[in-house]
Amino acid sequence: MIACILVPGFELQAALRSRPRLGLRPAALAPEPGTEPLLGPVTAAAEAAGVRPGMRLGEALALCPSIALVERDPHGVEEEWEGILKRLEDSGFAIESVEPGCLYFDTRGVERLYGGVKPALKRALASVGASWNASAGAADRRFAALAAAAIARPDQAVVVDDGRSKEFLAPLPLSLLPLEQPRREELGHLGVKKIGQLAGLPGSAVAERLGPDGRRAWSLARNEDTADAGLNDIQPGFNDTRVTARPPATDLAEWLEFPEAVANELTLRRALTALLDRILARPERGGREIRKVALSARLVGGGSWRRTATLREPSAERGVLRAALGPKLAELPAPVLSLGIELLTLAEAEGRQLALVRPEGEELETRLRDGLRQVRARAGAGAVATVVEVAPWSRIPEQRALLVPRD
Amino acid sequence: MLARLNEPQPALVEERFDGSPDRVNRQPVAAIREEWRVLDRWWTEEPISRRYFEVVLESGQNVVVFRDQEQGGWFSQRGA
Repeated sequence: MIACILVPGFELQAALRSRPRLGLRPAALAPEPGTEPLLGPVTAAAEAAGVRPGMRLGEALALCPSIALVERDPHGVEEEWEGILKRLEDSGFAIESVEPGCLYFDTRGVERLYGGVKPALKRALASVGASWNASAGAADRRFAALAAAAIARPDQAVVVDDGRSKEFLAPLPLSLLPLEQPRREELGHLGVKKIGQLAGLPGSAVAERLGPDGRRAWSLARNEDTADAGLNDIQPGFNDTRVTARPPATDLAEWLEFPEAVANELTLRRALTALLDRILARPERGGREIRKVALSARLVGGGSWRRTATLREPSAERGVLRAALGPKLAELPAPVLSLGIELLTLAEAEGRQLALVRPEGEELETRLRDGLRQVRARAGAGAVATVVEVAPWSRIPEQRALLVPRD
Repeated sequence: MLARLNEPQPALVEERFDGSPDRVNRQPVAAIREEWRVLDRWWTEEPISRRYFEVVLESGQNVVVFRDQEQGGWFSQRGA
């Protein structure tokens, strides 16, 4: 079975960790700088005042003038989420993190360890921690598991028996489906308000009216494989019944605290160089090159900032890393109190000999494998596939070749 | 998991009176380059009957679309 753990409004909850009192007042996560002024998740008190996530800031202020806007804290969110993932991994769960606040794991590996699906989910919720108000769900497919977790109360687990997912999904509201608001409203005007009503419509009519997203939502509503709807072009490697556990985290980070807030780019660039020197000298790296790296900063007046960079080729050269991360410093929205660097993914090889002759054989294979790992690090597991011709003579284009994942 | 290459993707197509496409994904069709039919698997319970059009949109983009004559609905497809 596939299990899903959901922490509602995780970004807001993480940002409120340092200001717990705000959690009891009407508060909402501030809009992202430079984007539409739409609110993020909101507290229960704000919801009681009529404020909804995704509402325009002006409308929310008109409804609830006392609402407090909580600054986004992407570094805090990553840190808290990583802590939850590590606690779950320590308890034996091989997890796939979708985004902060949502993760999946396969229960097959832990059912016997904890004596069944429900005890395993309870254990997972205990590992997450009661203070996060997390909920859990398990079903035969991802979407049904997500829906089960979405309707479960905080610290509760809902398990959908095998083969009963379609009946389970039928009475649930359309809001659980990944559909754009206008599409959902369009369906509402047609009298389609429940997942079961959408599932009862003919697939071709849904596709014609709502496009590929609608067709995918229809497949999810019917608890069917979304790959059948031809969605692999949109989401390569997406599989409803499989979880790809993340590789072990490297946990290598260095921070530099400034005596006072710094906004000068030259100083920040020097700080970056110092950080690179320190992290490249860490013995835990074991001489391995860096593939993916994150740069974080704590901002003056609260909040944080974070950017990640995937290198075109793994490298442990200070100049290459500085060139990749340096321009990101110009995107800092405010003076910083501290700057940090984190190595997210390391390459396997220790150093590389430059070629005098054109590489071939084993060397070429090694490079190809490394390149594929690079693509996976950037685009996610299942993103690399081989085209295998099965019926090249067929008059039906989709029957000529298959995409075989190279995981 | 295995997936098929060049699966048909649902397309928004407005038809002319003769059944040929007039607009594809809200873009006007500038010219129809070719038209053909594919009839296959008529001996099975899932026969295939498609009317294909290779069209040039006003943006200059070349697209292949077909109407599924069995189940209805328009689809775009690469590799056709």
